Amino acid sequence: MENNLDSVQLMLPSKAEYVSTARLVVSSIANKIGFNIDEIEDIKVAVSEVCSNLVKKTAGSCNIVLIFNVLDNTLDVSFKCPCFTGEIFADEDEALATAIITALMDSVELHPNNETIISMRKSIGEKI
Amino acid sequence: MSSELKIKEEVLPEFVSVGLCGEVDISSSQVFKDKLYKLIEDYKRNIKLDCSGLTYIDSTGLGILVGALKKTKQSENTIIIKGLKDNIKKLFYITGLDKIFVIEE
Repeated sequence: MENNLDSVQLMLPSKAEYVSTARLVVSSIANKIGFNIDEIEDIKVAVSEVCSNLVKKTAGSCNIVLIFNVLDNTLDVSFKCPCFTGEIFADEDEALATAIITALMDSVELHPNNETIISMRKSIGEKI
Repeated sequence: MSSELKIKEEVLPEFVSVGLCGEVDISSSQVFKDKLYKLIEDYKRNIKLDCSGLTYIDSTGLGILVGALKKTKQSENTIIIKGLKDNIKKLFYITGLDKIFVIEE
């Protein structure tokens, strides 16, 4: 892929049984970009952590929207959830999830009280 | 949808062997927690967790393991984890949990 921004959107019910669907879709997109197996695993884990957190906080009553933006060798993932307000991963008991996401992705940005709750980015070969 | 986790336990004189096959995520974590905690309470002995069939675990699952370790320590036992795949071992290192669990190859 050369300098073209492709965008894929996935909307899921905020229910536990659909988190594996998010993992499956992001794995497919990351594979298309050319990430290796370890990198795909990293992205999959990070995306799943955010989805699980939103499922816990909205208790199945909402939709989670994942927006995958693909630019050359980079994948940018943003999350929206209309029922969620506030800041994700702000609680003390979410430290494990925060540690995992920040270690696996190149960059993670929290957007408190914004339509986009969190966005994360990873490029091929940036982090081991 | 059915759980994508299979748990097989075997009670031995020295320890309880627990084999995990599949994924521990938000959809299977409650089943995993209930089963593991019950084994710890019922038998009060070391737990050997065979993770050779475990393909995925998230922070919820790791949190359950930490809680389970605290429970086993109450009866002066521990949890031994073996057969971790590299992708899951990486999560133990990232979170520092490799320092509190006994991890065998």
